Amino acid sequence: MTDITLSDQTQNLVQELRRGVIILAVLSQLHEEQYGYSLMKRLEEQGMQIDQGTLYPLLRRLEDQNLLQSDWRVDTSRPRRYYVLSEVGKKVLTEMTTEWSRIKNTVDNLLINP
Amino acid sequence: MELLNAYLEEIRHRLPLKNRADIIEEIRSALMDMIEERSPGGDPDDATVKAVLMEYGAPREVARQYASHQSLIGPQIFPVYLQVLKIVLIVVAALNIVGLIVSIVNGSIGDNDLFIATFETVGGLFSSLFTAFAIVTLSFTLIERFAAEELQAEMDEDWSPEDLTIVEIRKRVKISEVAVEITFGIIFILLINLYLDRIGIYYLGDAGWVSAPILNDNVLRYIPWITGATMLDIALNLYLIRKEFWDASATIVKVIINVLKIALLAVIIAGPAIIAVSPSAWQALNLEVNLTAQQLTRQMNTVLDGLLGLAIFGLVVDSIKIIVNGFFRNDHTRLHIKTE
Repeated sequence: MTDITLSDQTQNLVQELRRGVIILAVLSQLHEEQYGYSLMKRLEEQGMQIDQGTLYPLLRRLEDQNLLQSDWRVDTSRPRRYYVLSEVGKKVLTEMTTEWSRIKNTVDNLLINP
Repeated sequence: MELLNAYLEEIRHRLPLKNRADIIEEIRSALMDMIEERSPGGDPDDATVKAVLMEYGAPREVARQYASHQSLIGPQIFPVYLQVLKIVLIVVAALNIVGLIVSIVNGSIGDNDLFIATFETVGGLFSSLFTAFAIVTLSFTLIERFAAEELQAEMDEDWSPEDLTIVEIRKRVKISEVAVEITFGIIFILLINLYLDRIGIYYLGDAGWVSAPILNDNVLRYIPWITGATMLDIALNLYLIRKEFWDASATIVKVIINVLKIALLAVIIAGPAIIAVSPSAWQALNLEVNLTAQQLTRQMNTVLDGLLGLAIFGLVVDSIKIIVNGFFRNDHTRLHIKTE
């Protein structure tokens, strides 16, 4: 992130803004199975940085809400917990994507026409 | 790796009990990935491990992220909690102050003792206020456990104006009323089971305050039954809070509880006297009334029987009202708006 020059106040507000979209970002990358660390790397590569300390609890909460399912895998170099979208999760992601486009358009328009 | 284990242990004991081991294994796996990535040569050195742990964060902070935000008394019932707390605290304070005034008026406290008596009343006031606070909080913790999800569901649920006719206002359960009943039910159970001997005559003896119990041993045989009936009432009230209105089964159970209470009261009336005024305490009170303790005992028992008879009458009326409301009236004129 290039927010080194942002003021503290702005940083807090940006954090809040990001918090709202993190779930969408996480769900979007879980069509294929990922374990926490690989998911974090994947998000990071695409410019979405997320703390591992935030990511793992979030994954568990999403699993509790039946949006994800998970499994321990022991066939890799060390045991890892893999997460993937559940059927409910896929449906929710589709709906959230539509909603996101709508919000994005609306806000873009608002910003263009102050 | 000792450092890593120590770090994980610091997190582990701060985690919620559920899934502890699982969460720790996941964090371990992630940390190992990070460490491995940074030690291309194979064995990681201490500095790398430390850097990774620093990056992952303070154990307390890591554990905090897993905590679910559970509250003893949630936001839905908190306003009701405050309301009930206020009522109960005022009642308890009033009772204490009335007690003090009665003692002063009775003349059982001389001028010199007034200071001590006031001092003791204030002390007693604080301890009873504190107990009342604890009991109200306990009651609402129970309500939170049993009913909070339903309350939340009710607030979240979609509604349309057509829903409004579903529950008529007279069948609607008022949470604040029921909460007060639960609270006093618990206070009553505690009182009769733990502090029965405190119900009595209080007077200032040579060695400070003395209390002489006013109830005799005959009352003991009824205590389990009274406790049981009150607990049934509490259970029904919890059910009502959950259900939010009087349904057929609640109505039937309430009537059964009332019948049990009526039977119990009848047995108490028919049974031996349960009040016995201690002659020495009566003398110590030194009231200007021309009555012996024996006469007073007889009179009080008669009055008590009368009161119990009235209570039976009240229970019969209550039962009839409940049955009529529950099964025979069907006017939909007074509707309750569910979204208040």
